[in-house]
Amino acid sequence: MPAAPLLEVDDLRVAFRTRDGVVNAVNGLSFTVGRGEVLGIVGESGSGKSMAMYSMMGLLDNPNATVTGSARFEGTELIGMPLPKLNRLRGSSIAMIFQDPMTALTPVYTVGWQIVEQIRTHEKVSSQAAWKRAIALLDEVGIPDAARRAKSYPHEFSGGMRQRVMIAMSLACHPSLLIADEPTTALDVTTQRQILELIRDLQAKYGSSVIMITHDMGVISEIADRVIVMYAGRAVELGGKSQVVRSPRHPYTWGLLGAIPRPGQRGQRLATIPGLPPGPHDDQIGCPFRSRCRFAMDECSEMPQLRATGEAADHLDACWLSGDARKSLRGEIA
Amino acid sequence: MSETILRADDVVKQFALRGRHRGTIKAVDGVSLEVKAGETLGIVGESGCGKSTFGQCLTRLVDVTSGTIQFEGTDISKLSRRQLRPVRSRLQMVFQDPYSSLNPRMRVGDIVAEPMRIHKTGDRRAIQARVADLLERVGFDASMAGRFPHEFSGGQRQRIGIARALALNPSVLVADEPVSALDVSVQAQVLNLLADLQDEFGLTYVFIAHDLGVVEHVSDRVAVMYLGEIVELADAEELYASPAHHYTAALLSAIPQLDGEAEPERERIVLTGDVPSPANKPSGCPFHPRCPAATEICRTEHPVLHEEGGRAVACHHPLPLRVLSSAERGA
Repeated sequence: MPAAPLLEVDDLRVAFRTRDGVVNAVNGLSFTVGRGEVLGIVGESGSGKSMAMYSMMGLLDNPNATVTGSARFEGTELIGMPLPKLNRLRGSSIAMIFQDPMTALTPVYTVGWQIVEQIRTHEKVSSQAAWKRAIALLDEVGIPDAARRAKSYPHEFSGGMRQRVMIAMSLACHPSLLIADEPTTALDVTTQRQILELIRDLQAKYGSSVIMITHDMGVISEIADRVIVMYAGRAVELGGKSQVVRSPRHPYTWGLLGAIPRPGQRGQRLATIPGLPPGPHDDQIGCPFRSRCRFAMDECSEMPQLRATGEAADHLDACWLSGDARKSLRGEIA
Repeated sequence: MSETILRADDVVKQFALRGRHRGTIKAVDGVSLEVKAGETLGIVGESGCGKSTFGQCLTRLVDVTSGTIQFEGTDISKLSRRQLRPVRSRLQMVFQDPYSSLNPRMRVGDIVAEPMRIHKTGDRRAIQARVADLLERVGFDASMAGRFPHEFSGGQRQRIGIARALALNPSVLVADEPVSALDVSVQAQVLNLLADLQDEFGLTYVFIAHDLGVVEHVSDRVAVMYLGEIVELADAEELYASPAHHYTAALLSAIPQLDGEAEPERERIVLTGDVPSPANKPSGCPFHPRCPAATEICRTEHPVLHEEGGRAVACHHPLPLRVLSSAERGA
């Protein structure tokens, strides 16, 4: 038995009470993150990937939201944890990077001040010592002339530089888990490359675990060890990166990968997934993908469990299709 | 070789800056290119490189500071709004944000019919029939005409924007980031639709995007922009297989690759720093502060876009070109 995972999520559910009934944004999500592991969560807008993270971190303050299930971090339950205790954890043991660094930083304080604030919230250090650490952190994430730049305000940085500041801040207290929510989506491709390399380098250096949320299969391929594919609040496929990207097993993952333009296929038609993702109010009985799945059968009116259907025991998917037929069926889509 | 339908000559678009940083910005700095009838010309570049402004210059949504734009043989760069009207019906635009580019208070049918009403293309019944036709062409039921934009998803709205752009039978469509706001699976639907419409109506596309993979997929030729200038222009296959400009090479190497699909195996070039602001553009070659191959001449002398055998590159030290095998050409 390997060491206990750092984070163990079991049957996580987020439900919103709305005028038109209850909406399940996250619908029974279970996964683990090992120490030093990079877990990628990929899904389209509205698949619940960000919502799952927010609910774990206690960032859902919507009074109509109900979070149930369990998320154990180093053995401690996060769901329902009282706020003071959660505050000690957030920013120190678990840190988060958001998609838009401009809105995640406060515009009225210098970036150095913001990093110092975080350090001093969690540790008893003098402000001089904290300031020194802030400069060292900014330097480490590749901000030139860090001592001077620490006195700059967020608007004086470019998008990529702001994201570096966010990363510096998230690393301030050496978190064991870093949650990155679409950290490169707002950035240009050359800057995205820089940020991905930075996250990878720092991850290797400090051995933190990372949860990388993205809609981009390419980013997942670059950085993740294991991948969860989410659809309509559920995990439909879970496996090692190469397993999922090279030999995906769920029809949704087939469609997702087929829809990406590839080099050398110029002008050819892209495989598409017909229709649209289910809306929040669509009925949630059975497999959520069945209305768009060309292989839908009678069994699909019941939700399949996430389980191994192929040879690899650690490559799971939630689909009723027989394991052996998958390869030829996938060929039909491509 | 087919004829040139749209031609830009030394187009400059300058914006005035007010306040503390008084001065001017050249968002587009001397861009010349030709678009041939029936082709798709892709324009790629990072944010702030002037690609969208250039697209707006091409369709005269903004006035150009200097230079000319010839569309179907006439110079449209100095036409008045009234004179532009007949041109507008032939030269249409598809916008990036399907949420802000459709009027939320108009019904979908009216949105698609509006260009035809302005241009008085027919009586009410004829326009109504055409709207039904267009909606069906982009994959809707004609009965959707009575609905409002908020009832549609992003991808569906983008299809409505495309139907509107097609209403007047244009010959050229300038699409500015038409799929970047969409999820991958929906993006593929819109890209396939654009390809079908091009085949059916013989459309010419200028496809502006930052996503290199998407641009490679749709384009016949690709222009790469950096700080308001074209640094490289070539056939899509050749440009992607063997970039001549160091910036193009760096861009291509930065695309995240799917696992096990890194072909052709590219050397990874990580650029340092950010794109400089066009307000203080570097001397000489605009790319020299970030270029791995920069020498003295790059700092002082501005390289001109030099064309040779259908490929154009603005670089003092271009990368050696690899001759493509016939298999790669066939792709």
